[in-house]
Amino acid sequence: MSAATLRPAINGASVLVAGLSAAFGVGLLQVIGVLSATIQPHSRGPQSHTVGIFLTITGWVFIIIAIYVGAIVTSNTFATIVAGRARTIALLRLLGSSARTQRRAVAREGLLAGVLGSIGGALVGTGAAAGIATIGVTVGFIPQYSYSYVSPGLILPLVAVVVTSWLASWIGSRRVLSVTPLQALGGSEELSREEVAHRPGRNRTALVLGILGLAALLLSIAVGLVTPLAVLIGVVGGVLSFTGLVLGADLIMPPTLRGVGRLFGRSAPARLASENALRHPQRSSRATIGLVIGVTLITMFGVAAASFMQMIHAAQTANPEEYRGVEQFLTGITAVFSVLIGFSGLIAAVGLVNNLSLSVLQRIRELGLLRALGFSVTQLRRMILTESAQLTFTAVLLGLVLGAFYGWVGAQSMLGSINGSPGIVFPAVPWLSVGIVVVAGAALTAIASWAPSRRATRVSPVAALAVE
Amino acid sequence: MDETAATNTATDTATDLVARVENLTKSYGTERTKVDALRDVSLGIRRGEFTAIMGPSGSGKSTLMHIMAGLDSPTSGRAWLGDAEIGSMDDAELTLLRRRRVGFVFQSFNLVPTLDLEGNLLLPFELDGRRPTSREWDWIDELEHALGLADRLKHRPHELSGGQQQRVAIARALATRPELVFADEPTGNLDSRTGREVLELLRSASTKYGQSIAMVTHDPIAASYADRVVFLADGRVVEDKPRSDAATISSFMLSMEGAA
Repeated sequence: MSAATLRPAINGASVLVAGLSAAFGVGLLQVIGVLSATIQPHSRGPQSHTVGIFLTITGWVFIIIAIYVGAIVTSNTFATIVAGRARTIALLRLLGSSARTQRRAVAREGLLAGVLGSIGGALVGTGAAAGIATIGVTVGFIPQYSYSYVSPGLILPLVAVVVTSWLASWIGSRRVLSVTPLQALGGSEELSREEVAHRPGRNRTALVLGILGLAALLLSIAVGLVTPLAVLIGVVGGVLSFTGLVLGADLIMPPTLRGVGRLFGRSAPARLASENALRHPQRSSRATIGLVIGVTLITMFGVAAASFMQMIHAAQTANPEEYRGVEQFLTGITAVFSVLIGFSGLIAAVGLVNNLSLSVLQRIRELGLLRALGFSVTQLRRMILTESAQLTFTAVLLGLVLGAFYGWVGAQSMLGSINGSPGIVFPAVPWLSVGIVVVAGAALTAIASWAPSRRATRVSPVAALAVE
Repeated sequence: MDETAATNTATDTATDLVARVENLTKSYGTERTKVDALRDVSLGIRRGEFTAIMGPSGSGKSTLMHIMAGLDSPTSGRAWLGDAEIGSMDDAELTLLRRRRVGFVFQSFNLVPTLDLEGNLLLPFELDGRRPTSREWDWIDELEHALGLADRLKHRPHELSGGQQQRVAIARALATRPELVFADEPTGNLDSRTGREVLELLRSASTKYGQSIAMVTHDPIAASYADRVVFLADGRVVEDKPRSDAATISSFMLSMEGAA
């Protein structure tokens, strides 16, 4: 099909997301490969073996999480793209294009983004791992090693990234089916809150997934008292319950946003910013859920790692012989993982900035109206900043709570059975991670609102109102 | 109503009617907030004619067009394009209908901004998954020359004036030689001189090429270019006039206002 309109357009944001997921997966595998290569030569005694197993399990847990996060962010990105393109899609429908053709075109974009992203990500991930390893050798943290950076195992995360980007774009483009040709003739509206609440199928699925996920999480805690492999049940529970949350986000986020919005005062800009969140529940959920994922991940990892360390300390006191040197090793691993996990924060940040600028673009006309009604540039800027702050604040808050819970479940299920552990791992709060998340959230608020508010305030009221 | 009898009458009259609606009613809202956009409208659009559907805002003229084009469904009543009943079509059939049998011209031009002029013209063929045949190429060439677009084929819509964009939209609507072209306030976004040029083009498409056109408008000058003017008020057909000048149409509109 040579049709210019049907040619997949390359979407920068989705390529970036796929690339980050691939870079994360490949980088992690490479780092684990290097570390295993450094451990094996002088592997002696059971503790190296235990550490090796933990390393591999943790590695794969994180790869699955990264790909899952990438998929959610990608499907979010594509939902946003489709929403922004509703009018063009409606026009093509009017001229006789079928909804299926349109949706396939979007899915092709997803496939292309996945392929491009995973190739780029593989290179970046390998480069990053090699860089980290070189630094590690230089500072003497790890010994000289021999390891080949090309191995067939790396294909796995790459294929997974391509397939999930493709699937995610397919899922994210579901909305194409609901675009009617008639929308080409008038303005296109997103679903109102009432309509969202009346999507019983989706809401029921969200609830079922949430309950199943929670059950799996509880099961993993119980099984975790026997074997560290319980963490895999925990991953399944985490993915299920979080998918439930994402599906139900259209219902959960708006009230949360409303509550947070109250904190910003009763001035006109603040009130309008707060109302915006409720007027377009899908749009605001899309904008926040990516960030919720990022914060949840960072917090989860921080809590899990801190609990891990706490437990190692306990085990060390009980069994000083067996755990000698393990602590130093773990500190290194934690540092490496922390850098890698920062990527998911980056994915989320890209998503949020992207969403906010699109949402401002889609509202240029309305912003022009506000200007015509007498909103000053400062007020407009404050409104967009408040909106951005409301989104990040809500996402950070929710992410911290969820992350602490998931992190504790992860630590408990993986470590509950370990020698000399107290049986119940008490959640430890990684204050440093929390601090970084809060500061980064504030910075993100400013960055995300900067470009859109610049754009919105530069448009003259007349020009904005003339936009179709 | 007896199904076969209705179909038979449809084929009987289909020779000179390109589209028709029977006892069409369209209501919006719930029982308590009900608004009737159309009340028992029956109307036929004659083949090869340029028909204007006139009426003040809220008269139901756009709703009528949407239903005739298969974009909206009536609350009750039936609509045919040729001898095919639109109401019984599923989404895939309606898609094909829009692709092959009708054309659209809008107030807001509605060109695809990322495609150049030629890309926009060929869009209906591309959506059909084919290249134009050589006869169709001749026709497209003729359209491009007749509409004065031949030297701008590589321009994007934003590089064209409103009048030029609307000519591209008209060329796109005529390119597939559809049975019926729907025009929705085609001059609404144009200055009066450019608007008159566009109306001349629509009229000559009808007289020269025998193209059937149904135009929805509230502008008496635009309606004066049509072979026939159908007046709608409060969701009902109130008058059906042959070609009239703008003054006659205006005074009729004013008398309707007075009566209401």
